Amino acid sequence: MTTRPNGAGQYITRRALGGAVLAASLVTRARAAEPIQLGAVLPLTGPSAATGTQQQRGLQFAVARFNAAGGIAGRPVSIMFEDGQAKPDQSVLAFNKLADLNKVPVIFSGFSGPTLAMAPLATRKKVLLVNGGAQADRLATASPYLINTLPVVNDEVSVLARYLVDVGKKRAAILFQNDAAGTPGRDDFMAAYTALGGTVLGQEQSSFSQTDFRPALLKLNDLQPDVVFVMLTDGLSGFADQITQMKPPFMVAGTSFFSDPSARKLPGAQGFIHTQVRITAPPEIAAEFQKLTGTEMEFFGSQYYNSASIVFRTIESLLKQDREPTGEAIRARLLEIGTFNELTKTVFKKNTASMQVDIVKIEGGKDVFVKSYVSE
Amino acid sequence: MLFLQLLVNGIVTGCALGVVSFSFSLVYSTTKVFHVVHAGIYTLAGYLALTLAETGLPDGVALVAVPIVCAGAGALVQILLYAPLDRRRATHLAVLIASLGLLAIVQNAIAAVYSPNILQFPSAWRGQTLRFAGLTLTLVQVTTVLLSLLLYAATSLITSRTTLGKRIRAVASNPSLAEITRLEPARTYVAVMALASANVAIPGILVGLDLGLQPYTGTTVLLTGTVAVIAGGVGSLAGAFLLSIVITVMQNLSLLIMPGQWSVGITFLIFVLFMLWRPRGLFVAA
Repeated sequence: MTTRPNGAGQYITRRALGGAVLAASLVTRARAAEPIQLGAVLPLTGPSAATGTQQQRGLQFAVARFNAAGGIAGRPVSIMFEDGQAKPDQSVLAFNKLADLNKVPVIFSGFSGPTLAMAPLATRKKVLLVNGGAQADRLATASPYLINTLPVVNDEVSVLARYLVDVGKKRAAILFQNDAAGTPGRDDFMAAYTALGGTVLGQEQSSFSQTDFRPALLKLNDLQPDVVFVMLTDGLSGFADQITQMKPPFMVAGTSFFSDPSARKLPGAQGFIHTQVRITAPPEIAAEFQKLTGTEMEFFGSQYYNSASIVFRTIESLLKQDREPTGEAIRARLLEIGTFNELTKTVFKKNTASMQVDIVKIEGGKDVFVKSYVSE
Repeated sequence: MLFLQLLVNGIVTGCALGVVSFSFSLVYSTTKVFHVVHAGIYTLAGYLALTLAETGLPDGVALVAVPIVCAGAGALVQILLYAPLDRRRATHLAVLIASLGLLAIVQNAIAAVYSPNILQFPSAWRGQTLRFAGLTLTLVQVTTVLLSLLLYAATSLITSRTTLGKRIRAVASNPSLAEITRLEPARTYVAVMALASANVAIPGILVGLDLGLQPYTGTTVLLTGTVAVIAGGVGSLAGAFLLSIVITVMQNLSLLIMPGQWSVGITFLIFVLFMLWRPRGLFVAA
């Protein structure tokens, strides 16, 4: 009487145990194959769509390459794209959708205004926001959950100021765009340049979409500077044209904003000096990108490929330690790893990357290397 | 030398603005419509010229063909928008809002088709410069001055010496009487809109050639032009043209004594004071 129930009990227990083991193994297998889903809020329509699309291609290329190589620790990865239109309000809506509805642990972004608007939400929801394109100084301190994979403007401007003083250009004038992008650049340049012994003789401002720089250029030329530091995010082609006509004796210097392919070809832009974060894809990767996307691997394509690769490597490292890739864990692990050698060496001593910043000179429509520094 | 170069640059910009101003003045004094779409036609002209230039046609073709297209566009605005509103006895405010709406449509359509970025013409000659007495001017700037003076002279001649001009002045002076005397104000309005639109197309092309094209710059140009129209005396083509040059010269020369960010504000402050002194403008309409 007692054996039977016991026997049945043992039988049931054995079956239950076997079932549990099978279920656990199935769950583990299912989990192992479960895709890792991340998000991105980029401008895919509107005036900034050209840049947003380049950024998207960089992310998609990274996804394709990692998946082709077996995924992240055997799990396929995918990125859900939301259109933020480079507008803070649209981007916040998109962020909430990805974080709350899709439960993604990482969201890629670009553009200063939208990223700054999403940063407090990233802190609150412990979602890692990875900015690969915007450079406003405030991004460096906007949120512990914001990782900038590109140096901020201050880092580039400090490098430029160092170079100008090194080559003896110690009298500068400034032409800046009077907005959120241009004004901090002017302030950073003034602080860095004067700290190194340079003198700022004067400054003139322009507004976004301004096309006539002649009066400002004439006035700055009258100050007889060695160099004019230009902080424009728009209208560089017009500026270069007007420089051609004026043929001023001063040097023109700027930041990565000078990487405007249409302006770089103009005769007036030849001889411009500017900073450029070094991120060049090896020929085989560039060719693969071209084959996959049908376009050249420009700066943002490379930069977002690099950003995605950094995040994927971090997730891979967590999965190998059997840790859940949450936003919090990815952030902590990324800062713990610190140095990544993906498309370029990217070091995180803090939440903004230190990278090699080159001084380049535009010659024959191309950037020609002059000198290299590491941003701090 | 800085003074002279700023002065000359101011005159060049003023000549282009002058054409916008006197053509706007012609429309406003005749039809009494605050024709904001004038800024849209100014912008459209530049983009149409760019399209022609990109097909490889010389810019001279655009300088002839685009004003004709713009004249048609201006006539259509009168026939399809202002005339129906007038027939329905719409208030001046309603007409202004309709005009603003159409301007927004034109600007946004241009931005959608061509992109909102600043675009440059592929034409090689726009980079060529002339240097004399220490001054530097581009060929486009010289062309702008010459064509603007020519347009001003031609339009003044048309409005003062031709049958159409007499009709325009009669309609502007008393539309009801013009209707009774079979001067057909409706047809005159269409002619005026076509004439003004053809005129405004020329600076639209030349400024685009010189400085590049941007879908929204026309609004600022028209705003400055309107100030010139009012300060010059509504209805006075000479007043509008001359005051446009004065405004841009003042804006340029003000850089000699103040930073650029103050120049527009200070210039318009002077005009506010001027208007307090002469509220009807410098010249009284004929």
